[in-house]
Amino acid sequence: MASRIYLGELEELILLMVALHNSEAYGVSITEELKKHADRELSISAVHAVLHRLEEKGFVKSKMGGASEERGGRRKRLFSITAYGRNALQELRDTRNTIWSLISKVSPA
Amino acid sequence: MNNTPRPPRWIDNLIDRLAPGDLAEEIHGDLFELYRKDIHRKSIPAARAKYIVNAFGFLLRRFFWKRNSLSLNNSSMLKNYFIIAYRSLLSYKSNTVINILGLTIGMASALTIFTFIRHELSYDSFHSNVENIYRVVRVSGKDRSEGRTGVSYPVPGALKDEVAAFQKMTSMEYFGEAIVEVPDSSGNVIARFKENNGLAMAEPSFFDVLDFKDSPVRWLQGNPDKALTDPFCVVLTESLAKKYFGSGNIVGKTLRFEKEADCKVTGVISDMPANTDFPFSMLISYSTLRTIRARMQDDWSSVDDSHQTYIMLPDNITKQEAEAQIAKVHAAHTPKDLHESRFYILQKLSDVHFQSQFGTYSGRSISKSMLLAMAAIAVFLLVTCCINYINLATAQSAMRAKEVGLRKVMGGSRKSLVWQFLTETWVIVLMAGIISLALSEILLWQLQSLLNLPLQHHFKDPFILQALGIVMLVVTLFAGLYPSFSISKMNPVNSLKSKFTTETLGGFSFRKVLVVVQFTVTQIIAVSAFIVVSQMDFFRNQDMGFSREAIITFPIPHHDDSVKRQQLEDRLLAQSFVSNVTFSYTLPAGVHRRQNARNIWRTGETSRNVIFEYQAADSSYTSVFGITLLAGKNLNNNDRETEILITRVLSERLGFRTPEEAIGQPVSMSGKDVTIVGVVADFYNNSLKEDKGNIVITHNTKAFTSGSVKLQSIQQYESLQQAIAKLETIWKETYPTDIFEYRFFDDNVKAYYEQEQNYAQLFQFFSIVFLLIGCLGLYGLIAFAVNRKSKEVAIRKVLGATISHILVMFSKEYIQLILISFALAVPVAYYMVNSWLSNFKNQITLTLWMFIVPGLLVLIIALTVIILKSMRTVRANPIDKLKYE
Repeated sequence: MASRIYLGELEELILLMVALHNSEAYGVSITEELKKHADRELSISAVHAVLHRLEEKGFVKSKMGGASEERGGRRKRLFSITAYGRNALQELRDTRNTIWSLISKVSPA
Repeated sequence: MNNTPRPPRWIDNLIDRLAPGDLAEEIHGDLFELYRKDIHRKSIPAARAKYIVNAFGFLLRRFFWKRNSLSLNNSSMLKNYFIIAYRSLLSYKSNTVINILGLTIGMASALTIFTFIRHELSYDSFHSNVENIYRVVRVSGKDRSEGRTGVSYPVPGALKDEVAAFQKMTSMEYFGEAIVEVPDSSGNVIARFKENNGLAMAEPSFFDVLDFKDSPVRWLQGNPDKALTDPFCVVLTESLAKKYFGSGNIVGKTLRFEKEADCKVTGVISDMPANTDFPFSMLISYSTLRTIRARMQDDWSSVDDSHQTYIMLPDNITKQEAEAQIAKVHAAHTPKDLHESRFYILQKLSDVHFQSQFGTYSGRSISKSMLLAMAAIAVFLLVTCCINYINLATAQSAMRAKEVGLRKVMGGSRKSLVWQFLTETWVIVLMAGIISLALSEILLWQLQSLLNLPLQHHFKDPFILQALGIVMLVVTLFAGLYPSFSISKMNPVNSLKSKFTTETLGGFSFRKVLVVVQFTVTQIIAVSAFIVVSQMDFFRNQDMGFSREAIITFPIPHHDDSVKRQQLEDRLLAQSFVSNVTFSYTLPAGVHRRQNARNIWRTGETSRNVIFEYQAADSSYTSVFGITLLAGKNLNNNDRETEILITRVLSERLGFRTPEEAIGQPVSMSGKDVTIVGVVADFYNNSLKEDKGNIVITHNTKAFTSGSVKLQSIQQYESLQQAIAKLETIWKETYPTDIFEYRFFDDNVKAYYEQEQNYAQLFQFFSIVFLLIGCLGLYGLIAFAVNRKSKEVAIRKVLGATISHILVMFSKEYIQLILISFALAVPVAYYMVNSWLSNFKNQITLTLWMFIVPGLLVLIIALTVIILKSMRTVRANPIDKLKYE
């Protein structure tokens, strides 16, 4: 496993959203959750692009879900986080926690 | 829920087209879901707008898509094609240069020709109702073969009065030149100009019939309905108005014409466009003509060719019906012999520019077959440069066999190979196309004197850019398809086994056929050019029945008194450089002269009515112009139009068997009784394109408008200049208030053949272009063959072959091909040239030499190219070629 993980801020955010709605996440739901929780308004295509990039990098995997009437009878692509993705998130959080603990030690404010 | 309005369908289609299958489904689904939510939250239009914005977001990001699936997208391959094309063009530099050069020359010439053809076809196409406008022209002779413009003065009036259908018609008379003076308010002349063209008289209905609707011609000042109604009114074009009066409102000012007629300026129009056969710069009201030529208003037989009538026919009458009506009116007013020998027919306005047997005011006309010939030249130029490309590309294919073999082995499909070679062709054609755009502008500028086109910028001209685009596409396909298919056809095993490295000379191949086609076209053009030039030489040097050397002509003012003329004559005759002086109504021939047709019959024999050209002159006319008297005596200077000289053909048409028989016979000349006193040898009063004229020369000092001086022997250039200066001084002292100008009579006669002269030069130019392209191709082929055969040459030399042997080996094949193409070219050229020559009454007889000389020339030039190119290899030391084996 790669020692360093390159994950952009938006990629991390979206990966978190996938983790949140594991195996139920898809383009529209993520866009809406992002608005709700992070107050980030993104275009659907931008979210798609990030999801596909994450899949390419191996952080998420996807399968085609069932069709629904509200989508005009089309299936959705459901994303779920992979173990590698979960690790990456964990690692990022650990790194940050470490750095935060250092910050509070150096400058107790 | 099913009643949700559908999102815009076109954008869905776009996504379907561009996105791979399951991805499209996913995108559609997400978009639709958001769309429905937006409908609930906002409004339908907002939702639709959002849908489109989102969809475009996907389309913009489509470069992510292909990573997800094996996309059918070709863009990366396309990029690769360009890279390969770039590399291979660089690695075969000389071929690339030859190809670009050939294509550039071909395309630039074709573009120039297109510009020319477009200009010619645009003549007077901008009037509304163009299809219903006709010009009244007249034909005469038994077979109606002699076509002329011009109608007699009373004809248009009678037609309008007596035929109900002819309501929209307009008549005009073109004078061309005039002396124009600008008087100040008290009548003193403050400026004097000589206008050499553009002066016309026109009816108020001129702009009703010819409305110049889709051209930039507009009324700038004055009342268009009234401006040309009263006599002695003039409408100026903008540039003349500026020249005479500067800027500002000039309506109401006065101009004086020919020093006697004051005309009031009643209007200003914009300048006429370049593509009109009505190149007028000044329109004087037609009613003026009725005043100054009142006496001719009832003369149904005299005709001035520049007096023309245009009719706009209503929809309910056909051309044939209209012509029948005209014939009826004509018959009602004229004696039998006239209306049975002269017919007025209608010519479509859209044919005026293209039927050169009738003239135009612009002096410019071109037959449709000449335009067709030009178009054919353009097409064949493109074909020959494509052939160059095909030949070089297929010749090169042997070198590229390994590349193709390897590509195939590595899994390249034939389709992708074809695309690759087509891309290569496209790159070359594109480069050539861009250069040819610039070159065609230079060509247009260089050929300005021949084509006489308004200059324009090709880079800005949408028509030219479109034409170039189409030409490039067609050339790419035509030149690129065959080579790319034939190269990609190769069997990889064979090509990798280097089976292709031995190129055989001889045998039959597609390439040879193409070389033959190329040189056939080249030789057809070369032979045609040679014969056109020979015909021109004939025109220039053939005896026309009068002498034209060393004669200077100049005008003398109208209504000149004979005392002044006598003074001028005496003073001129006293000059050492003058051998003889004559005054006349017109000149025997030449473009700048007056022509006046009348009819004549033997007294009491009205049935034998002959139309002739009237010339009035003094007694020195025959000696100055070298017209020989066959029988009888010369004119008498004190006579008043009672004695006439006639030409021999006229005497024969009048029924005299010998010239002597005609002497002393009474005849009636347009109703006036005169006596034939002499018969002169025939001469060509029009160009050699037509027959010898029926001419009557009589003495009538009132008609004299022209003077001619025969110079003493051949002069040095300096003394010629001095002579002209002296002539001018004397003339100006005689007529101090007039403007002097002079012409050399031989130039004036030569001007008849200006158009043919231009064609001759164009043909010469294009035959050189064809030859250039052909030789470029030949050079490329030879360069290739010589390269491939360098080892063979070396071995042959080691074994004792001489240089000449090897040169023969290289050139034999091409000489054969060129000979074959010569044999093919001769009959085609013969047919074409013969039909061109048949337009002229006087023509050269075609001899075999006229075909062989240009053919031989082409052969020699091609041979020179071959030998020059192969010489280096042939002369190289064989060791250098063989030591690496």
